[in-house]
Amino acid sequence: MQARQAYGEQAQEQAAPRPAARGPRLGVYCGAGSSHSWLWLADTCEALGLGDLRFLEAGEVASGGLSGLDALAVSGGDTFAMAGALGPAGAAALRRFIAGGGLYLGFCAGAYLLLRSSKEPLNLFNLVEATIANLSRRLPQPLIMPEKFATPYGCDYVFHPVREALILRGQGGPLGEGEFSAPLYGGPAMQPAGPGVEVLATYQDFSQATRFLAPRELAAQTLLGRAAVLRGRLGAGVMYLFGPHCEHPRFAQANRRLAAILAEHTPSQALAPDGRGLAELGPAQARRLLSEVRRQVSNSRIVALALEDHPARWRMGGKVYEPAKLRVFLEALWSRTGALERARRLLVPAGAAELPALLAGVTESIRALRRELEEGQETTERAAGLFKDLRRAAALYLNMYFATAAAGALRPGRARRLH
Amino acid sequence: MEYLASDRIAIIDLASGEVNEEPYPDGLCQEKIGGAGVNLALYQQHQDGEPIVLGAGLFTGSMVPGSDLGVVTAKSPLTGTVCHAPLTQYAGMELKYSGFDYIVIKGAAASPKYLWVHDGIADLEDAADLWGQDVWAACEAVRANMGDELIQVLGAGPAAEQGSDLAALMINYWPSGDRFGLGRALAAKNLKLIALRGLGLLEIAEPEDFAAQCLELLGAVKGGAWAGKKGLADLAAGLGQQALADWLAPLVHRHRASFNTPFAANTFLFLEADPSQLSEPPAPEPGVLVGDLAALAGLQGLGLSAAEAGQVLGQCAHLGLDPAGVAAAAAAAGVKDAAGLMAGLATIKGPVPGLSGPLAPAAPAGALFGLAQSADPAWRARRQALAYLFGLDPLFMLMAPELSEEKLLELVGLGIGLEIGPEALDAAVAGIG
Repeated sequence: MQARQAYGEQAQEQAAPRPAARGPRLGVYCGAGSSHSWLWLADTCEALGLGDLRFLEAGEVASGGLSGLDALAVSGGDTFAMAGALGPAGAAALRRFIAGGGLYLGFCAGAYLLLRSSKEPLNLFNLVEATIANLSRRLPQPLIMPEKFATPYGCDYVFHPVREALILRGQGGPLGEGEFSAPLYGGPAMQPAGPGVEVLATYQDFSQATRFLAPRELAAQTLLGRAAVLRGRLGAGVMYLFGPHCEHPRFAQANRRLAAILAEHTPSQALAPDGRGLAELGPAQARRLLSEVRRQVSNSRIVALALEDHPARWRMGGKVYEPAKLRVFLEALWSRTGALERARRLLVPAGAAELPALLAGVTESIRALRRELEEGQETTERAAGLFKDLRRAAALYLNMYFATAAAGALRPGRARRLH
Repeated sequence: MEYLASDRIAIIDLASGEVNEEPYPDGLCQEKIGGAGVNLALYQQHQDGEPIVLGAGLFTGSMVPGSDLGVVTAKSPLTGTVCHAPLTQYAGMELKYSGFDYIVIKGAAASPKYLWVHDGIADLEDAADLWGQDVWAACEAVRANMGDELIQVLGAGPAAEQGSDLAALMINYWPSGDRFGLGRALAAKNLKLIALRGLGLLEIAEPEDFAAQCLELLGAVKGGAWAGKKGLADLAAGLGQQALADWLAPLVHRHRASFNTPFAANTFLFLEADPSQLSEPPAPEPGVLVGDLAALAGLQGLGLSAAEAGQVLGQCAHLGLDPAGVAAAAAAAGVKDAAGLMAGLATIKGPVPGLSGPLAPAAPAGALFGLAQSADPAWRARRQALAYLFGLDPLFMLMAPELSEEKLLELVGLGIGLEIGPEALDAAVAGIG
């Protein structure tokens, strides 16, 4: 057990991933439009013993990056921005991937992405015959968090009456029939609108942790009894759409159900060779790279923590970001530095050499952001660039980490994490 | 060492600019405990490089009541012997979480540098722009550059750069309690300051039992003779120096405790306006922080008013001077007025009386809050040594006999999973002796 004795932070042990366990080779979308929740997939999959993850930008999805994957997970963010970034080529690649037997896991924005829609560019997708049920033409006054309350959707609004943990009820299939909880952060309630779409779980009730952005009765009318998890099929492939974030690492019951889905879709054939052209760094090179990463992530974390209570909010597309989100990215790296420093060898994908410079830029950018906020300057453009760089750095780092883990090069030991 | 430690020692060679790491040697803790004990061992190992060694005590930064103390060990420019100076307030705690248990700084840099220690990284940075700046300006510049006001800065002021005998090691804006002139030792290495920050974690061998024992101890110490008291005026009164307490009282604005130390021993004097108004002005550190009763008593002894003493203390803080040393030197030189003292601060010199051993005195002699044993010099010396080994506030150790040696050794077992007996403790105490 660990205990942080200053600042009231808590620690959690994290086991190193089991090396090269044959589970699905899972791609995780981390491109434009994605928020920070794709990082939860890294944590949860690692905890489930799935070490073969790779993190994909929009361009990689569109240009052959899905090849060799068994599954693709798309988590939260700005659905319109994701769809725009993926574009027609990405939509076509996704359709081919699923029809060819791929597994699609969509959470929140990743679920909206495949639902039926006439709105551009969402209409490039339309892969699951189901519609958004939490639409409203007129909105009540939000009780709290107006910035999280609704997202424009044509003449309507996608309406988010609650946030945080809800109780779901499984309707059979891999999710079983019992109740479990998962958090909702703007994800959909869904309505099947065609054959072959199965409801696997419904919104059953609110929990003590549920936060009401709209009156409770209205929230109940909007959500309870409606589909929270759907399954659709396309060719040889299967698509699971989750309104709530069942991939959130603090929701073990939901994670276990996710594991059941992944287990159902574990291919029996041997792993195809990793086609990314991974390079192995020599010990001195690896030490230099990891030392510089540690230096810059530490510098960034320190100033990001100092910024965390600042009331600044940045609207980027359909999403609102706050300073606390900066450290979510940085912690995803920091919590794995010890494990990588102890690794027997280090496997790096193309682009890893740019990590130190990228992270040094992140440090300077957060420091500048803090100065500019103190001076009352407009900072949205800087914040947008910063989050883009953080996404890129986290993807590069996690690709290095999981490639090293999948090669069985991590030594057993404790890693440390702050929450 | 697996628990309550980062298990890393940084060795910084200022002459070459090299930063190396060593693991915390097995067995060193059982032999030397920690803090001043291990610092001294590292000092001796690297003494060719005239090192300054920073180290956390075994319990620094933990839940043990009073766990604020880090230790700086170096040869004192004043006495010419190896000494241990206290790092109180929040500096000791930050050192503990910086990712290194001990930091050895040896040699001298060719040009002004500062050391930035964070999360197990030690970076030597150029300090050309900081050299010549006063203590406050340098502290604020580093914090602004790194973007965090919680960075703890151990610095040397202009007095140190000019070779003053009385140049103390400063913590952020204020004196550290260093009476040995270690600010000058830092500046002699061309090292302007050491900035510390860490977001690390410490593991505890038996966390539930350790926490329960610490909470039980906290309950016991808070019922001590000083219950309900706070600040330097109460401390002076508790030492029987009521006149000093009364002299100070009209200027008292607020108090500040060091990390996890139940008695708030640092007092802010408010000189700009009536402190009873209680509202704080927009300045980052309004008033003058005083944590040294000897300094106050010395300045009072010169015949200064409390307000004049406050102004002298404020100026000492900017210049990086030990105020107790300043008061003693002024007395030796026959200075009797505030204006004369302020005018001569930049060049004041003088041997500091009262430095009879390797540890800086935590409080003037006498029984504290009626606690008879605290007047016994042998008991005091033992308690000070324990404070510097375990990382506990030296003044608080004189006020809290509930933190008994038996309890401390029990906490060693729970905290780090090692057995250390009374004989080993005696040897460690004698070792820093």
